[in-house]
Amino acid sequence: MKKRAVWCALAVLPLTAAALAGCGGGSSGGGGDGVISVGIGEPKSLFVTSVGETEGHQVIMALYTPLVRYNDNLETELAAAESVTPSEGNKVWTIKLKDGYTFHNGEKVTSDSYINAWNYGAYGPNAQDLNSYYSKIDGYAAINPTDGSTPATKTLSGLQKVDDLTFKVTLSAPYSGFMTTLGYTNFMPLPSVAFNDPAAFQNSPIGNGPFKMKGNWQHDQLIQVEAWDGYTGTKPKVKGVDFKIYQDAGAQYNDVVGGNLDVVKTIPTQQIANAKKDLGDRYGQTPSGSFQGLAFPVYQKDFENVGVRRAISMAIDRDAIVQTVFANSAVSARSWVSPQFPGARDNTCGEWCNYNPTAAKALYTESGGLPNNSLKISYNADGGHKEWIDATCNQLATNLGITCTGNPVPKFADLLTSLSKKEAVGMFRQGWIPDYPTMDNYLEPLYSCDAAPQPNYSGFCDKTFDEDLAQGFAAADNNAAIPHFQAAESILAEKLPLLPMRFGRNNFGYSDKVKNVTIDLFYELDLLALETK
Amino acid sequence: MSSDPNALPPNDERAAIAEGEAASTEKRVTAELTEVSGRPRSLASDAFRDLRKNPIAIISAVIIVILVVMAIFPTLFTHKDPTDCALGRSLKPPSSEAWFGYNFQGCDIYARTIHGARASLMVGIGSVIVVAFIAIVLGMLAGYYGGLADAIIARFTDIILGIPLLLGAIVILSGFKNNSNMWLGLLMVIAALGLLGWTSAMRIVRGSVLSARNQDYVQAARMLGATNWRIMTRHIGPNAMAPVIVVLTIALGSFIATEATLSFLGIGLKPPWISWGGDIADATARVRNALGPVLFPSSFLALTVLAFIMLGDAVREAFDPKLR
Repeated sequence: MKKRAVWCALAVLPLTAAALAGCGGGSSGGGGDGVISVGIGEPKSLFVTSVGETEGHQVIMALYTPLVRYNDNLETELAAAESVTPSEGNKVWTIKLKDGYTFHNGEKVTSDSYINAWNYGAYGPNAQDLNSYYSKIDGYAAINPTDGSTPATKTLSGLQKVDDLTFKVTLSAPYSGFMTTLGYTNFMPLPSVAFNDPAAFQNSPIGNGPFKMKGNWQHDQLIQVEAWDGYTGTKPKVKGVDFKIYQDAGAQYNDVVGGNLDVVKTIPTQQIANAKKDLGDRYGQTPSGSFQGLAFPVYQKDFENVGVRRAISMAIDRDAIVQTVFANSAVSARSWVSPQFPGARDNTCGEWCNYNPTAAKALYTESGGLPNNSLKISYNADGGHKEWIDATCNQLATNLGITCTGNPVPKFADLLTSLSKKEAVGMFRQGWIPDYPTMDNYLEPLYSCDAAPQPNYSGFCDKTFDEDLAQGFAAADNNAAIPHFQAAESILAEKLPLLPMRFGRNNFGYSDKVKNVTIDLFYELDLLALETK
Repeated sequence: MSSDPNALPPNDERAAIAEGEAASTEKRVTAELTEVSGRPRSLASDAFRDLRKNPIAIISAVIIVILVVMAIFPTLFTHKDPTDCALGRSLKPPSSEAWFGYNFQGCDIYARTIHGARASLMVGIGSVIVVAFIAIVLGMLAGYYGGLADAIIARFTDIILGIPLLLGAIVILSGFKNNSNMWLGLLMVIAALGLLGWTSAMRIVRGSVLSARNQDYVQAARMLGATNWRIMTRHIGPNAMAPVIVVLTIALGSFIATEATLSFLGIGLKPPWISWGGDIADATARVRNALGPVLFPSSFLALTVLAFIMLGDAVREAFDPKLR
């Protein structure tokens, strides 16, 4: 139960490029009436405590105002919060809300709006996707019994209301980065009407954000939002946004080129080569926090030997793949934390990630190699991963003299199921988009013992690694935590449970009716900056 | 009158000529009938004679022979390893080194196309064997015994006929998508196509068995006390086979096309099999920037399917003089 939710962030890449034919909404491209259309995939949920993937997150960020936001330098800025103050030792955090915020239905946003929402999300039997995101708050264990029994209480003992606009959060252990995490979806407020019928509420969510719902969520077709007059924060420059739901990024791209859609957030890699020609200066590229790697199931005997893992890593020509397959729309990765993040260092992987086929072959032979000299790399077929997996396999085959085959699994969920059952899937691809801008968000969910078996699918578990993380969480502030997290990352370089492959970039396109289109490190389109021409 | 150069010979002379002609025709007929083995010509050898004179049949047969050789001995046509791929050669155009150029992954398209023939033919021939077995057994039972057996088999055929071949194969193969053994994968494709594709062949067997059943020679055999098994295998079988061969030849072509479709959809043959359908699927995403990787395997696929269908048509014409 505990860590169940985190993998949703992992689902991001496949979701944005699902493989079936498109079925966009009926209306034509916006612009003329100040309404902009944006292509997204079908969200899994629009109930904030269950929105763990990027498509739903994009809609939630239109409807809600988070407590804090991250600026271009990834510093945390206050949004709906007036102040967030830690106690000595970072264990108790006092959150004071800005006055004057109301929900779209007129209800005032108070401490209770937050406390009730968080309690609902954290309460185990509610089975919310973001349940594990509350795990650092005191009392989490009591309402999430591991034996499946019904908890005695329904609320987090760590949440205390001080007054209508102030509440205190007590953590189970000191955590210097807590304020940074407050920008994520699970820490949004909910109006009291939300809890009457959550299933109905999420079809037409009521939030405290710059936009409000216009009509209901038309599943697999359209979600319409319009600028809300009663908003007290920075108002958007567009009158509304039509989120058109597609199953295929390729169809979104074609619709932008054809003028039937205003923004495509991800241009499929196969179209990158002609995107400049098709869109001219309406093709944009910004840095992204996304990370792609190839993981080893370290619990499997075949991959036990670190020498074999290192040899495989050295036999992969990352630069050639980025240049040819991704047309330089991504950057080769030689470390585990995206370079944009505070504390990230270049090339922590060192010699093991430098392309060196001769040394790789020698090390492979010396380490005893793989059974039958054959390797399988599993990936989800609905995420556009085939080309780079095949290219990687070809390189491994040529450089190590092994047979290597890509093993496409139809859906991302199928791959996750196979992995959690510890089936022999061979190596497998793993992607990650962080939720908040601290480097531990790249480390803890993917490699800590606690996060196994999911989302730490490789099953890597290292005591020193976990201790380093714990020391980082207990550090006085974010900066003091960094050396501990860096020490943890260095352990990954030594043990190689997952090979870094690429850091992504956002490659997006837009119609000639819009300007100021930017997508941030978290794959979020900035709806407040967006303007019509 | 007698000086007229066009005048006909006297009557008695004409009779003599006619007699001579008749005699020589008779000799020729006898010679033809006893040609080859010295026995009277059968329908099959008659058909074969026709086929030898049909240019379409000859062209199709030559193509098929080349494909079969290609499938068994691909190295006669290319020395390149189809799995030797390098991104550095990605999408290079045709050259003297690589006749069809390189695909996106930097593999030699010519080598891959040649090696792809094996998977296609194995699926085609394998499925046809399955189909032939099911169709002949069921068709023979239904046609020979009639009555209840016929009714049951006919209803069963209707059910299978109601499942479109491609849809049924997709359903079957998606259910077994996780097997990793390449030979098992091949058998699955063959089984899926074979188990769903026998209906029209079965109906044709049934029809020709039905018409042969009441022929005099069958009645004669029955009078003489021949068992049902003997009548079916020795008398009806050989005479009912011709139309089945025709249907199976055409079906072979369509099975190859269906295999390519399934592989294109990602549920047919998987790597390490080299399949035209799979290669076409891989190349379509970038068809705007590179046509070659789609064009060459597609042309080979089209040519193969066409060759089998044309040969089937020619065989049908040869067996059925009425179509001429």
